Order: sequence, then structure tokens, then C-alpha cells
Amino acid sequence: MNTHLNTREKRFIAVVAAIALVFGFTPVASAMHIMEGYLPVGFSIAWGVICIPFLIAGYLSIKKNLKENPKTITLLAMAGAYVFVLSSLKIPSVTGSCSHMTGTGLGAILFGPAPMSILGIIVLLFQSTLLAHGGLTTLGANTFSMAIAGPFAAYGIYKLGLKLKINKRVAVFLAAALGDFFTYLVTSIQLAMAYPSESGGVAASAVKFLAVFAPTQVPLAIIEGILTVVIIIGLETYAQPELSDLGYLTGGVK
Amino acid sequence: MENSSAKRLCFARTNEKSNNSHYPNKHHHQIGHKHGEGSAIDYYAYASKIRGWNPSFKVVFSVLTLLLCIVLNNPLVSLAVIVSMAYLTVIKGGLPLRAYLSVLLIPITFIILGTVAIGIDFSSQPIGPFNFSLGSGYLYTSVAKLKEMVFLMLKVFGAISAMFMMTLSTPSSEIIEVLRKAHVPKLIIELMNLIYRYIFILLDVFNTMRNSADSRQGYCDFKTSCVTFGSVASNMLVLSLKKANAYYTAMEARGYEGELLFLEDEKPFQINQVIYPVGFIFFLLLLWYITK
Repeated sequence: MNTHLNTREKRFIAVVAAIALVFGFTPVASAMHIMEGYLPVGFSIAWGVICIPFLIAGYLSIKKNLKENPKTITLLAMAGAYVFVLSSLKIPSVTGSCSHMTGTGLGAILFGPAPMSILGIIVLLFQSTLLAHGGLTTLGANTFSMAIAGPFAAYGIYKLGLKLKINKRVAVFLAAALGDFFTYLVTSIQLAMAYPSESGGVAASAVKFLAVFAPTQVPLAIIEGILTVVIIIGLETYAQPELSDLGYLTGGVK
Repeated sequence: MENSSAKRLCFARTNEKSNNSHYPNKHHHQIGHKHGEGSAIDYYAYASKIRGWNPSFKVVFSVLTLLLCIVLNNPLVSLAVIVSMAYLTVIKGGLPLRAYLSVLLIPITFIILGTVAIGIDFSSQPIGPFNFSLGSGYLYTSVAKLKEMVFLMLKVFGAISAMFMMTLSTPSSEIIEVLRKAHVPKLIIELMNLIYRYIFILLDVFNTMRNSADSRQGYCDFKTSCVTFGSVASNMLVLSLKKANAYYTAMEARGYEGELLFLEDEKPFQINQVIYPVGFIFFLLLLWYITK
């Protein structure tokens, strides 16, 4: 076996080793689901209410799609199952620390942000009952951060990237990574609003939550971006017709 | 062997769902966070001895306990909930204690990080009995804050164990049925039923792909694993889209007109299953009232 490496390969290995070192210290990190029981009642209800308009919009968009093309139902269900499975998979890391993708960025790019709210709330419900990530009373808050804010941010960044004519892969990376990052930001603010700091109020508390979760969430956002690009490259290579079907049916990428 | 009995119990309702506990569990070294735990919860639910209880009753009881735990916000109530839910799940439900603990420990990272952020504060002046200088500012905490942290942990564990009482004894298909009775829109119920079934199909697809990639050294180092993960994920999407089309054709051929109907086991209320929970809820309220 050829063990000689050229400079580029060496540099690549150094970068990978540095990334690995960072990930090596990453403790168990699931996507930032707010746990059951963590939010006071008022906040649980308020976040649920905030989600309602988005859920209704998603519901109507799905209903309209189904009327035009009833076949979409299995496709949408598969999309939901796909996001669930993707988010339950352990993503690669060197030391065996566990982290998951959120899959929301990819979902938004592929399926469009509108149906993601309904699919997202169903996926989150299954995540809390089947995976013990998140909970019933925090479903509203989690839906807002993961099924509404994250996908909309990812989709917006992706579209903006395409409009600015930056490399499509860079756009996908930015959309997935920043979408993930935005979810983490929203979750921290949600937590901070429920538990403001004594001395500094909500803002100081938000900084605390951001700092505490940063070691798990920042590398996760970057790796989610990388993996999403790899997945999109794979899809573009093998599944061009399916991709255009998907865009046609659900208003996602064309 | 155990799995086959669970399958036999549920075959009438979930004929498409595949062998879920085959999802291999490669990393035993990590306490409390095992992957494939998702299908494990589903498996425990089918194997539970209190699966025969009326599902609507279990859902209502679990959600009510969960809400009381959060609304009353009382450490003694939380403790009572933790103990009684563990009793229901482990002793009545026959779930091995180890399995129960490992499920309970899944959210532990979030709980620790989340409560630490609440318990420890920072400020430019040293306040409170315990503070730690950081150069420009101080990290500080106090007995009251530490107490708040512990109480919050108790509350979270109480709420989680109330929810797990339901999820570890009620298969998702029955929970969906309860939601249907609660008049959740038909379209959402339909999507939930389909998604629940497709999850296990896709997990099966993923396992096959992962095994074949693994046997070809697809996960030998970090870069290769990233590439393999990406190709497996994109192939999985292609396959799932193909399957979605095939399933729709199959459903249509069997007369699908926008509603899936499932045969349901009759699980009537039993009066003594109702007396104890009602008593328990009054006990929680009383406990809260006394220690308020």
C-alpha cells in the first residue's frame, strides 16, 4: 500500500485531525430538544400558540397539494420518516462521541419550508415518544425552533445564496449549518426567556445558555453543513429525476 | 425470541413494521445514550405487561400527571411522581430496571447543561456566597440557586417519568388512535400512521446499507465515514421515494381513498384501574396543598 502522502493530503489530514480533536471533546449531543418538564406552563402554552399560524399554513399547503395530486401523501410521509431516521442516526466522529443531525436544513431544501412545519411536529412527537428526545409539553417550543425557525432560515439562506449566484454547494453548506445554528440560537433564547438571569435578565441568561451549549452545537452545525453537502452531491449524481419530481410536487428545490 | 413474541402480538396492526430490535447497538460504552433506543422504546411498549390497559386512559393519566408535576412545581410532588411512575413501569409493566434507567438517562446531558446554566450566574461584582473570579467578572451561585437547580431536576425527571409511563406501555399506533378519537385532523392522523410505519422500513434499509458499507471498510476513518454517511443518506432518499410510489400504487389497488382503517383491540376500562389513578391524583394535590 502506498503510504506516501503529498502535501495536500498531509494538510487535509492535519485539518481532519484538528476537527477530530474538537469533536473528541464533544459530549453526547442530540439536537437541542428542550426536555419534557423544563419549561413552565405559561411558556409551553405560549410557544404552542405561536406555532399555530405556521401549522395552519403548512396544513393548508399540504391539503392543496393532496387535492391536486393525491399521490403526494406517501411522498410526504416518506419525507417525514426520512427526516426522523436521519435525525436518529449517529453521525461520524472519530472518538465515538454521539451526535445527530437535525435534518431540518436538508428537509427544507428538498421539500420546502411550508410542509416542514406539519412534518416537523409529527417527527418531533415521534422523537419524544420513540427516542425520548424532547417532550409533550415542550412540543410547541421545539416545533417553533426546529420545525419552523430552522427550516425557514435554512430555506431563506439557500434561496438567497442561489440569487447571489454563489456556488450551489457553498449555499447548501451555509443553509444547513446556519439553519442549525439558528435553531440553537432560538432554543437558547427560549430557555433564557423561561429562566432569566437574576442580575442580567433575559439577555445575560441567553448568553449563558449559548455558552453552555456551544461546545456541542457549534461543531454539530458545521458537520451538519458538510454532511448535507455530501448528501446533495449524492442526490445530484444519482437522483436528478427524483429531485425534479420532488421540487414539482412540494415546492422545494427544482 | 423475545422479539418474535412482540411481533406476534402486534402483527394485526402493524404488518409492515419490520424487526425493530435488530437495530444493532454498537456503542455500549456510553451510559444513557444508546442509539436504536428509539426502536427499543417501541419494543418495550409492545412487551409491556400493562399494554392491555385502555390506551386512552393511559394517555390521559400520563398527561394529567405530567401537567400536575409541572403546574404544582413542588419537589415532593415530583418525587412522588418519579417513584410511582417507576413502580408502574418497572413492577406493573415488567420492564427490567436497567432498561428503564437507560431510557431515563437519555436526556441527561441536556438536563445537566440546562440546569447548570440556570444555577450559575455571572456578574461584574462578586455577589452571593459562592463566587469565582474570571478576571473581568465573577461566576457566582448561592444555596437558593443550587436548591432551585435540584428542584428543577426533580421536576424534569418527574415529568419525563410520567411521559415514559405512557410511551413504555403504549405502542405508537395506539397513541395515534387516541389522537384520532381526540379529533386531531384526519390528514395529520393519516400522515402519522404512514410515517410511523415508514420509519421502521427506512431503518431497515439503512441497516442493510450500513452493513454493506461497513463490510467494505466504508467507516475506516473520519473522511471515509463522512462520504459513506452522505452516500447512504442520499441513496436512502432515492430508495424511499421509489418505495413511496410503490406503496401508493399498492394502497390504491386495495381501495385507498384517503383514510387508513385499522383493526383495533377492544381494551375496556377496568374500574379498579381507574380508582387508583384518581386516588393518586388527589394524593398529589393533597401533598401539594399541605407542603405549599
